[in-house]
Amino acid sequence: MATAITVEGLSKRYRIGELQSAYGTLRDSLAAAGHRLVRRDHERHYQEIWALRDVSFELADGDVLGVIGRNGAGKSTLLKVLTRITTPTEGRAEIRGRVGSLLEVGTGFHPELTGRENVYLNGSVLGMKRREIDRKYPDIVEFAEIETFMDTPVKRYSSGMYVRLAFAVAAHLEPEILLVDEVLSVGDAGVRRDRDVHGHARQAVLERDVRAARVRRRRPPRARDPARR
Amino acid sequence: MPVIRRSWPARSPPPGGPVASIGAVTQTAESPPAPGAEAAHDEQISRGLAARVTVIRPAPRWPHLDVRELWHYRELLGRLAWRDVAVRYKQTSIGVAWAILQPFLMMVVFTIVFGKFASFPSKGVPYPIFSYSALLPWIYFASAVSLSSASLVSNRPLVTKIYFPRVLLPLAGVTVPIVDFLLALVVLFGMMVWFDVWPSAGIVLAPVFLLMALVTALGVGLFLSAINVRYRDVPYVIPFLMQVWLYFSGVVYALEDLAEWQQWVLALNPMTAVINGFQWGVLGTEPPGLGKTMVSAAAMAAMLIVGLSYFRRSEPGFADTI
Repeated sequence: MATAITVEGLSKRYRIGELQSAYGTLRDSLAAAGHRLVRRDHERHYQEIWALRDVSFELADGDVLGVIGRNGAGKSTLLKVLTRITTPTEGRAEIRGRVGSLLEVGTGFHPELTGRENVYLNGSVLGMKRREIDRKYPDIVEFAEIETFMDTPVKRYSSGMYVRLAFAVAAHLEPEILLVDEVLSVGDAGVRRDRDVHGHARQAVLERDVRAARVRRRRPPRARDPARR
Repeated sequence: MPVIRRSWPARSPPPGGPVASIGAVTQTAESPPAPGAEAAHDEQISRGLAARVTVIRPAPRWPHLDVRELWHYRELLGRLAWRDVAVRYKQTSIGVAWAILQPFLMMVVFTIVFGKFASFPSKGVPYPIFSYSALLPWIYFASAVSLSSASLVSNRPLVTKIYFPRVLLPLAGVTVPIVDFLLALVVLFGMMVWFDVWPSAGIVLAPVFLLMALVTALGVGLFLSAINVRYRDVPYVIPFLMQVWLYFSGVVYALEDLAEWQQWVLALNPMTAVINGFQWGVLGTEPPGLGKTMVSAAAMAAMLIVGLSYFRRSEPGFADTI
């Protein structure tokens, strides 16, 4: 079977000091620059941290990879690099196939927009085409079980309804490669209060997973921790 | 949104370093029963996939703009612009009337202050229609600049959670106020009938001049939005910048009455060409000189290039610093 994902020596460095000053004002930066000029000290005022260091792996079609590790181990960073949200400091990765990424459910949901409008917005953000959303719309509504509220602004939803709708859109994304970050657990938590939906959502997603995994390739690291090997 | 976290079995931190390697699980799904049809289908998919290879590498020093990728994301651009239009007047009592009221009231104030008290020159047309026809492109420009400058920070949840060409955000920002412009245009037509002022043949070029305003706003917006990711001073700078810029754009007085050399200097501001050109079209006033328009076009191109280069250079760090 062909390889779906190749990752070679991927590393990502963050500068902690820099991250802190990132919220500073222009004046702070100018002042800092001035200090450096006057004192002529070129010592770095930040601390470096390697969130990822030399990560390499290869995944074939149909492989499923879960990454586990404790807080701060770099799972999310790995995911952010693979989804191209941020760039690596070193190394390279190659992904073959249409990538769908779910770093959270309901990315881009706008509180003022109605449920229907948000389905279209969120679907586009996740990379679905308009026609695709049109086609899946009835399924998404059925899945979320909030037909009567589709024309209500999302800000008036209960948190359970909100998560169900967000989750319903995510569950209808059909990529060849799926990158997921703790999304399923969020879905769980959100819909837990409603046992029926909970079971339904879980089942539907798993079914989809199996199909995706068989026909295509898929990689859901249910990112639970460290990316360092 | 409630964040209920599932508790996981506590692990004792492994010795040595804050970064722990606990393990990764690879599991291969059973391969499908592959009868002819399905195998062919599989193969077809593989071939289709070969074309879609995403290569992830450290950010290049001088990234170029991937136009093909932008085209691929055109639907998302439309969706983002649509969202901003849809949300713009939600929960306001008079809604889209604001799009007309804002330029109209400014026109009234300008007419009283600059037209009556100061008697500024107005190209031989009644001052109200002179200032209203200048205010339309100006207000479009000012909102385009402020919307696109804020676009990255106001869409922070998107920037940190999903990939798409970030250029789409400032681009959507300069698209959105077009709607307000078109609404306010209706009042302009009414005023033209009222004051008996008629367009010239130059009206066919009016869209070109408006496009100039869009590109200029995009250049400024790209630059300021990228700066805004790092320094949140930008929202304080913009109102001031726009106020000063207004007085150098020929909105309140006719530029023709300035000395020739002053007009050439002001041509460096693309908005002078936009406003002169637009007024030439709709009011039939003097056409803007070709030479000065070229200077403006060159300045516009320079702003776009500088803005886009700065934006593309800072783009890799957006998600980390925003």
